[in-house]
Amino acid sequence: MDFTTFVKPSNGDSMATAEATDGNDAKKLQFWKHVEYIENHGKQEDDYEYCMTEFLRMSGIYWGVTALDIMGQLDRLERKYVLEFVKRCQCPVTGGFAPCEGHDAHLLYTLSAIQILCTYDALDEIDTDAVVRFVVGLQQPDGSFFGDKWGEVDTRFSFCAVATLTLLKRLEASIDVEKAVKFVMSCCNQTDGGFGSKPGAESHAGLIYCCVGFLSLTQRLHLLDVDKLGWWLCERQLPAGGLNGRPEKLPDVCYSWWVLSSLTIMGRLHWISSEKLQEFILSCQDLETGGFSDRTGNMPDIFHTLFGIGGLSLLGHGGLKPINPTLCMPQYIIDRLDIHPQKLERP
Amino acid sequence: MHGRVKVRTTEEERERKKKEQALKMKAYRAAMTKIQKKRAGGELDDEMLGLTTQILLRNPDVSTLWNIRRECVLEKIRKITEEEEKQQENSVKPEDEPKKDEAEEEPKEVVDSPQKLPVEDQLQSILNHELQLTEQCLMVNPKSYNAWHHRCWSLEQNPLADWQRELQLCNKYLKYDERNFHTWDYRRYVTGKAQVPNKQELDFCTEKIKVNFSNYSSWHHRSLLLPQLYPNEQQDRPMSEEKLREELEMVLTAAFTDPNDSSAWFYQRWLLGQGFHGDKDAFTVVAFRLDPHGKAVIGLDKPFPAFNAKVQLVGKDSSVDISSWLPVNRDKSIWKSTETITIEAQESYELKLPNQQIKLSALPLNRGYFYFKPPNSLSSSCSQDLKAELETQLQSCLDLLDYEPDSKWTLLTSSLLMRAIDPSSHHAKSLEHLQKLQKVDPLRKGYYKDLAARWTLEYELNKWPQSEKFPLQFELDKQSEALTSLPYGQYLIIADELGLPEKLRNLAQTFNELKL
Repeated sequence: MDFTTFVKPSNGDSMATAEATDGNDAKKLQFWKHVEYIENHGKQEDDYEYCMTEFLRMSGIYWGVTALDIMGQLDRLERKYVLEFVKRCQCPVTGGFAPCEGHDAHLLYTLSAIQILCTYDALDEIDTDAVVRFVVGLQQPDGSFFGDKWGEVDTRFSFCAVATLTLLKRLEASIDVEKAVKFVMSCCNQTDGGFGSKPGAESHAGLIYCCVGFLSLTQRLHLLDVDKLGWWLCERQLPAGGLNGRPEKLPDVCYSWWVLSSLTIMGRLHWISSEKLQEFILSCQDLETGGFSDRTGNMPDIFHTLFGIGGLSLLGHGGLKPINPTLCMPQYIIDRLDIHPQKLERP
Repeated sequence: MHGRVKVRTTEEERERKKKEQALKMKAYRAAMTKIQKKRAGGELDDEMLGLTTQILLRNPDVSTLWNIRRECVLEKIRKITEEEEKQQENSVKPEDEPKKDEAEEEPKEVVDSPQKLPVEDQLQSILNHELQLTEQCLMVNPKSYNAWHHRCWSLEQNPLADWQRELQLCNKYLKYDERNFHTWDYRRYVTGKAQVPNKQELDFCTEKIKVNFSNYSSWHHRSLLLPQLYPNEQQDRPMSEEKLREELEMVLTAAFTDPNDSSAWFYQRWLLGQGFHGDKDAFTVVAFRLDPHGKAVIGLDKPFPAFNAKVQLVGKDSSVDISSWLPVNRDKSIWKSTETITIEAQESYELKLPNQQIKLSALPLNRGYFYFKPPNSLSSSCSQDLKAELETQLQSCLDLLDYEPDSKWTLLTSSLLMRAIDPSSHHAKSLEHLQKLQKVDPLRKGYYKDLAARWTLEYELNKWPQSEKFPLQFELDKQSEALTSLPYGQYLIIADELGLPEKLRNLAQTFNELKL
């Protein structure tokens, strides 16, 4: 299976257009190069990386599909092939989704699969009851979630569970939401108002996104200490404009997304400098191949490409569709599903 | 994929790498095909373990392979236990003839297990093998969620797990990387299992911090231990005052060692924080007004979307339940009653809530009743000793500012110290610092502006009850023209008139504007 099998052969060469419109200006969004980067994902030199990352393929497809949709280029992929792949990955026994064939189902890839299906408006093509059963079966007596039957507990999985059920419109009357909330709040640190992966774990921007997103989906943002957490989050911005994930760490495009989306959900986007962050994200574009890397001058990958594009969309960059900060999907899909993740007002 | 620098390579080098990768890929695909085939056939044997080892050592994130290993381990354990049961049966009935034949065939069945070892040793050998592998994998990728989880899983299978050895492993790994949060999480897990006393952990933390002050992970670990070791009975501070004083001293030394490092400053702000809210899911009524026509409005200290408390209005000889409320503002910190309450003119009323009992005051000219409690009533509750320590620290900060007037963290911390000592007498000075911070730390300009608005409103709302115009009129003075936001709007619902700068006026509502 190859990502390029999803790409329509009729798309033609967008590189020529890219040179003509964007030039090599690092300060501008290299729109067509990114489109091409995603299309080429899995071709030629990248093959080795592509092969070695098959254990997260479903998420990789979600990253690519979502980035293309935000750029208004979703029709460059063959809907039918993407959906066939997704459907083949649903485990007939557990109901969850595997990252690709031959691997085991897990909550992480189940959310990615459901996100792809929602983007293509194709939930009716799979057994959603089985998905709900899979998610419900992973909730533990303390409200937490296992990622799969092997017992790893993490607040990432709490987010995956409620996000999956929200997209399926089955959050009510499935899991014990009160207990799930209680567990997530037991991971909240009184020092900085942030969250870690489990009770007592150090606050970390990625897990803060998961927990803030979780509270947004369960309509419980009032449980956050917005002033304390918002301050810690805005302190993630470094002089170059990028955001890091924890104090005294390097900036990173993906952490920029986790922090930016959390601040947006909390109505505190104005606590950082949007201009400087935009500069940082754009500086992480690969001007030759397209795609975004974690930091300026590093190798691009599909994961950072979505979070680069997504971050720019949240910052209101022109030419991109609005993205929903909680579910990291185009807003028009969230509207189509009539889902309303909670968002706080700017004070 | 993180931290991979894009390097220019020669054509030759690229070719060589490509060939190398092609070989690796071929090996990977061959191993994966074989693994999947064996799994389908239920062959959970040593060969399977070998095949998965081969891939996991390069790529410990392939979670399915760890799942397969767990299946293999459980299968092996099942077999040796079965074996043991069989042997026990045999030893009970040694004279049983037909059993002998089976016994002769046995070696074939247990070909995977180390032979002639007692069951316990076999079990240890199987599980230790898993520990060794995870250790090797963590050398390759110390942040592999899968490898850490597999380690925990293997130890959980082992009633004789050596937790002291695991503690040593944490020490070793924290020497390589003192910020790896996986190692710290694992350490908390292990210290729980090994029942390491909190005091001992605190000493470990102190050592770590002494080696390097810039260690947020260590400060965090500390923040978990102190409230347990030195609890504060009133719950208004994170720990006992005596310990708090010691910590403040230690953290300021750390912060001054490198004033540009944020780790210690974050910890210090936590120490200076007042509220230690035990229950995040609780609210306090901060404002209430009931008009003569029986319409009521309630303001809560924070947004509370599920406000449905039974509110009881208790008069001299009557009592009414107000049970139906509707949110007025979007964040749901203001609620109005949907019913009209019958009230009689009398001296006073009380408001009873499940967690609060409030005495209402009468408004002049029979205009109803109200209640008001300003935010963060900062009547400094700290002891003389603690206050003296805070004063000393403030002076140190101000001294440092003489030399480095633009030091961001010193500016912020000194204003926090001022507010911890006495917010009202230091009000103007602390706002001055926020002004300055907007210039020296422009990235967070919006944050400092909002903080200035909060401090201003807290100050003004605390002053309000002493004003002649209280509670029907609220006014912000000229200096507040600079404010860009208006927090604490729910405290203003008792007023009939708001004297606010033009741009803030539509951010708050008077009692009448709530249109009850």
